Amino acid sequence: MVFNTGAALLDAIVLAVVSREDEGTYGYRITQDVRRVIDVSESTLYPVLRRLQKDDCLEVYDRQFDGRNRRYYKATSRGMAQLNLYRSEWKAYTKKINAIFEGGVTA
Amino acid sequence: MNRVEFMAELERLLADLPEDERQAAVQYYADYFADAGAENEAEVIRELGSPEKTAESIKADYYGRTFDESRFEHKDYMEKYGQQASGQQTSGQQQAGTAGASGEEKKPWTSRGLKILLIVLIAIVVWPVSLGLICAVVGILAAVVCLFAGLVIAAVCVMIAGGVTAVTGLLMSVAYPPAALMTTGIGLLLFVLGLIATVGTVKLCMIVYPAMLRGFVELCRRPIHGKAV
Repeated sequence: MVFNTGAALLDAIVLAVVSREDEGTYGYRITQDVRRVIDVSESTLYPVLRRLQKDDCLEVYDRQFDGRNRRYYKATSRGMAQLNLYRSEWKAYTKKINAIFEGGVTA
Repeated sequence: MNRVEFMAELERLLADLPEDERQAAVQYYADYFADAGAENEAEVIRELGSPEKTAESIKADYYGRTFDESRFEHKDYMEKYGQQASGQQTSGQQQAGTAGASGEEKKPWTSRGLKILLIVLIAIVVWPVSLGLICAVVGILAAVVCLFAGLVIAAVCVMIAGGVTAVTGLLMSVAYPPAALMTTGIGLLLFVLGLIATVGTVKLCMIVYPAMLRGFVELCRRPIHGKAV
């Protein structure tokens, strides 16, 4: 990947990945899902998840799995609102970039 | 290093975080290892790099400083690209090369105006010391100037004394011709020696004074303009 993934885009991707699961999802799966699309190191995502949790965009709960407690992340209503903002911003951004890449410079 | 050692080291490195922060991080990575499964344990440890790197990524975020992954990344990078494809390695190195070059091309942050301002500020701050230094430099310069001037004066004095002695000898020639001859001779000799010394010292001054002036000017302008070309 030649393009850098900035902090906001990474937040947006993580929010999108987590919000796909109604029941919420857990760290390892989030990492695998994110790494399927962008090249991030495994230690990148914990701080992102922790920050989103502190900003009330994600909530965590523990659920029994395989005889242990597994921590799940779930998008909050605030997280969904934030994700919608990211989506519309991304749409506007990519539209402009695409216009330059594919259609030449437009006003 | 296995998973247990990794987790123990990570927990130790996070000791200065608040309890709940450390707990959350340790739980996350414990989950992570458990979910990755024993078969992926080595791979996860290799990907995480080191407990130090993982701990720093957590702490950097908590304390709000930027996580400088490059501090830890080098080995990972080499491993990653070295194992994947040797063709990619060259492009990676090229990228690193251009990045280094553009880094070097950065302009120095100082400008001449800033430099002068800085020198003035320093001069004010160290005023008590610099005043003493300036006095010392001026004193030494004055001493050197006077030394050479003194040499010239001494030479002129010898010349005058020689002249006077010779004239005295000539005046004495009627009364005591042998003594007069000797006195006149000594006087002439002194006069000539004095003349030579005068010419010599004046020439010396002509060499030394401009050189000193040049040296002094150079000394003063060096901190401001850098070395003269």
